Amino acid sequence: MPDNADRPAGDGGPVVTPSAGLSALLAEAQEVWVARARDADERRLADPAQVPAHAAARPGWRPFEDAFPTFYQFTNRPR
Amino acid sequence: MSARAWTGMRGIAPVPSYVIMQPTTLCNLDCAYCYLPFRAADQRMPVEVAESVAGTVNGWARLVPRFSVVWHGGEPLAAGRAHLAELMAPFTGVEHHIQTNATLIDDAWCAFLAEREVRVGLSIDGPADLTAQRVNRGGRPAYQQILDGIATLRRHGIPFAALCVVSDPRPGLAARLYAFFLELGCYALGINVEEREGVNTRDTGHAAAAVRAFWAELTAAWRADPRIELREIEWALRYAGAALAGTDDDLLPRHLDPIPVIAQDGRVVLLSPELAGFTDPRYGDFASGRVPDTPLDEIVAAVAARPAGWIAEYLSGVEACRAQCPYFGFCGGAHAANRYFEHGRFDGTQTDHCRNSKISLLEGVLDHARQR
Repeated sequence: MPDNADRPAGDGGPVVTPSAGLSALLAEAQEVWVARARDADERRLADPAQVPAHAAARPGWRPFEDAFPTFYQFTNRPR
Repeated sequence: MSARAWTGMRGIAPVPSYVIMQPTTLCNLDCAYCYLPFRAADQRMPVEVAESVAGTVNGWARLVPRFSVVWHGGEPLAAGRAHLAELMAPFTGVEHHIQTNATLIDDAWCAFLAEREVRVGLSIDGPADLTAQRVNRGGRPAYQQILDGIATLRRHGIPFAALCVVSDPRPGLAARLYAFFLELGCYALGINVEEREGVNTRDTGHAAAAVRAFWAELTAAWRADPRIELREIEWALRYAGAALAGTDDDLLPRHLDPIPVIAQDGRVVLLSPELAGFTDPRYGDFASGRVPDTPLDEIVAAVAARPAGWIAEYLSGVEACRAQCPYFGFCGGAHAANRYFEHGRFDGTQTDHCRNSKISLLEGVLDHARQR
C-alpha cells in the first residue's frame, strides 16, 4: 500500500504560510468574489426572473448548490 | 494548525444535503476513462423507486433552504424526456441538477430543462484533441456533438457549468484549457484529474512536479481573467485565506455528508457514487439498503448511527488521514472510492487522487503565489 510514500517535506507544520505573494493573490480573489456578487445583484435588479436570490446572497464563495452537481468529486461538503 | 487539531468530518450526518439519482445505466458515449461498468445497458430506474426516494427527500428539503437532487448516469438524458419527467415528478421543494455529456441536447431538451429550472453541468475535456477520449459507441469522436449541444443551450440562454477530465496534467496545458472554457461560455469549471477507479485501471501516478506546474499555470490563467468560477483554484484560495486567518478548521463539515446514490435498481450506496454497481468478496455490493424496500431516511439513519462493514473501515481511514496528513484540513480525507480502487480497502490513506488533485493542487497554487 503506497500510504504516504510521497509525503512532502515539512510534515506536521503548517501547509500554508504567509507571504507577500499569497496575500496579493488572496486580495485579488476577494475582489473577484465581491465583484461577482455585485454583478449578480445588479443583474437581479434588472431581471429578477433570471437571477435567483441566492445568487446574490453574499460576496465570496458561490453557494455550494450552484457550483456543481458533482462537487462531491472534489470535497465531501464544503461549509 | 497541526494535522491533529482538525475537528470536522467526524462520523456520518443522518441527513444529507443532496442525493444522486441514476435514471439509467446507459450512456450513449464510451469514453476511454469511464469508470461505469454497465454503461452499454439501458437499465432504467422504475418510477416507484423515485417515488420512494421523493417520499424521504421532500421531507428533508423542508428542513433546509435548499436541497439538491442530482441526476447522474450513465447519461441521464438517455433515459428520455418522458421517463425522466416521470422520475422527477414526485419531488417537491428541491433543486434539480443534471450532469450530461451534452450530445443529446436539442430544443426539446432545453424546453424540458428550462421548465423545471434544472441546473446543468456538462462534461467536455477541452479542444478537440483533448476531448478525443470522449467517443461514441462506434469509437468516433463525440466532440462536435458536444459542441452542438452546448450551442443549443446557449441559444436558449441556459447557463451551464463544465467538468473537464485531465488525463495527463503537465506544464503547458492549463492555459490552453482555460482559454477554451472562457470561449465556451461556462459560468463555472471543475477539473477532474483522471482517477483510477471502477473499470478504469489506467495508471494515474504522475510526477508531482508536473502536476504542481499544471495547477500553478491554471492559477495564473484564472488570475489573468477570473470570469469563470474555477472550482479547484478558488477552493484552494479559500482554504489558504482561512488558514492564514486561523479559521480553516471551520471549512470542513462537522460530519461527512452521506451523499446517498440511488442506483437504477433502487440500491442505495453512500459516500462514493463510483462504488455503485460493483461487488467485492469482502464488502458485497457496497449498498446500505434498497428502496422502496426500506425508506431512504431509515437507510441513512441506520448507517449514521451504527456504521458497519466497509463504511466503518472507511471512517477509520478518515481518522488515519486526520492523524497523519497535514493536508487533511484542505481535503477532509481521501475519498472512499479512491481508497478502494487504489488500495483494495478503505482504511489506507494517501491515494493518487490525493496527490494529483489535492496536495499538488494546493502546492501549485502556493507555487504560483511564491513566483509573483
